[in-house]
Amino acid sequence: MPPNSNTSPVITIIDDDHSVLVATQFLVMSFGFETRAFSSAEQFLKSSSLDETACLISDVHMPRVSGIELQKMLRSQGRNIPTILMTAFSNENVKSLAIAGGAVCFLIKPFDSKTLLGCITSALGRC
Amino acid sequence: MLNLATMLPEGHHVVLSRLPPGKAQKRFAIGIVGVILGVFALITVDPFSGVRPVRIDAFIPAYATAMFVNDMITAVLLFSQFSMLRSRALLVIASGYLFTALILVPWILTFPGTFAPTGLIGGRQSPSALYLFWHAGFVLFVIVYALSKDSKLGMRQWHGTVGPAIGKSVAATVAIVCIVSVVGIAGEPLLPQVFKDSTRFSPLWLYYVGAPIASLCVCALALLWTRRSSALDLWLMVVVYLYLIEVPLSYYPAPVRFSAGFYAVRVIGYVSSSLVLLVLLYEIIMMYSQLGLRAQRSEREARLTTGDAVTATVAHEVRQPLTAMIANADASINFLNRATPDLEMARQALRRIVSDGHRTASVLASIRAIYKRELQSRVDLDVNVLIVEALALVSGDLKKHRILSRLYPGTAMPVVKADLVQIRQVLLNLLTNAIDAMTSKDGPRTLSVKSEACAGVGLMVSVSDTGDGVVPGDIDRIFDPLFTTKREGMGMGLSICRSIVEGHGGRLWVSPNTPVGAVFQFTLHVDGSAPTSV
Repeated sequence: MPPNSNTSPVITIIDDDHSVLVATQFLVMSFGFETRAFSSAEQFLKSSSLDETACLISDVHMPRVSGIELQKMLRSQGRNIPTILMTAFSNENVKSLAIAGGAVCFLIKPFDSKTLLGCITSALGRC
Repeated sequence: MLNLATMLPEGHHVVLSRLPPGKAQKRFAIGIVGVILGVFALITVDPFSGVRPVRIDAFIPAYATAMFVNDMITAVLLFSQFSMLRSRALLVIASGYLFTALILVPWILTFPGTFAPTGLIGGRQSPSALYLFWHAGFVLFVIVYALSKDSKLGMRQWHGTVGPAIGKSVAATVAIVCIVSVVGIAGEPLLPQVFKDSTRFSPLWLYYVGAPIASLCVCALALLWTRRSSALDLWLMVVVYLYLIEVPLSYYPAPVRFSAGFYAVRVIGYVSSSLVLLVLLYEIIMMYSQLGLRAQRSEREARLTTGDAVTATVAHEVRQPLTAMIANADASINFLNRATPDLEMARQALRRIVSDGHRTASVLASIRAIYKRELQSRVDLDVNVLIVEALALVSGDLKKHRILSRLYPGTAMPVVKADLVQIRQVLLNLLTNAIDAMTSKDGPRTLSVKSEACAGVGLMVSVSDTGDGVVPGDIDRIFDPLFTTKREGMGMGLSICRSIVEGHGGRLWVSPNTPVGAVFQFTLHVDGSAPTSV
């Protein structure tokens, strides 16, 4: 388990569903990571967390900017933040878009905590 | 307006003129051919050859009347098949049957002994002249039918309106009957002497009547055989074969009227006239039963779809709090498992599990409420006000995408009992879909919303766009849960919309807009109750 210190990498979580957002944040905190939470992609893009985020966990289906669009925007800005996408409702269409967009993991809610940890570890390892 | 031909998917045509003949039909046809050959052999060879002719004057009018009715009904059925399938060949063969029906009228009027000892009109040669025109004429119609059914694809289908086409065909057929009647009746003195007196054939009959009919029959049979594809082709072959058999049977064994051969010819003629009619009637019954089965099946499928929509909605709404609960539970285990357990964080996570559990329960309760079609939450709804509100909600998007919106509010709209929030959701969903359909498209962008009162139902709302429209293959699936054409859509919107509308006793459907785009329409019942069939 990574050390819970100031040098710990920052994991940013974005979900428009408040309960899922907070719960995911708790879970990632319980792994020992620093976390930031946003309820929309726009808020995250405007925030200062953009530079410190080492790994991004985002919901796919959100009003206005979706997780997949966010992934695309970050790439076009030249930011290569490893991203984990999650959705409560998957179809193959969305999954292939997510993978094509370079997502590290594509998780179906509800997801297993070990799977999420594995995704985060490999996301950070990739950086 | 739908017609049968477009309603049924390709490969599901259940009409005689499209369907290839089945094994049973082929066997039946061969059976008829064999039986008639047997009758022919029996009459020409043995024991009837010595039987003296028996004149039954009532036979001819009865025969002609039955033939007239048969051929008329067959013609009407074939004309109606033409109006569905628009095949020129069908128009030709329908006219052929009309021709055989109409020509019976001058034929019976000239036949000796029916209305007057020497025939009501015309001379001695008139009946056989009309017999020639009748048989040769019908076989010519069959030949034209066989030739036109396989002509170039563009020519095969009639593209104009059906009514005038049938009208012109009927007029042309009547004109032909009139012309040949004049030839056979007024021109009688000029005709060859094929009858010696009112009952006895002259050998000339074979050359002037028998041979032309027989050779045309052979041509028609050859054409039908080489171009055979449908059950109608098969039965026309049998009919032409029967026409062919009539020729020798008229002359052998005794070349006189009212001989055994003469009566056999009439019976065979009656069989040939009834054949296509009987097969058409049989096919119509089969078609009805098949359509009935198909309707039952699609109703069952629709029920399943509604069930799926409910399941999918429940699954989606429950999955979110469930995700949160599992994540919180895992988090609290992790917090407790630390070397120094973080009790405060664990407690917070557990509290969140409790509240998410309650949230799940309330989601289930509200979903249940929707599908229980609870009438308590229904209010008197003015749909025109709702439309204006919904358009205001999307006005930003309309401006942004330069979409022109048009509102056609209906007058004297009935007030319906409905769940305001749900119907607004349906309307917003349809408006958003319409906008999405037009944003990536050149050309005019017009969103039209129309409301109208429907007598006996309640009201109908139509949302039309000028987008890309719905691909015909998707029209049936567009309301299925999880079906989407949007890159990131979940495919839930329209299936939920349909469940809501049906929960109000209405219907939601889509059809193409002219010239481009799609029209989504839904109805709402005045009392907001579901019709009994749903």
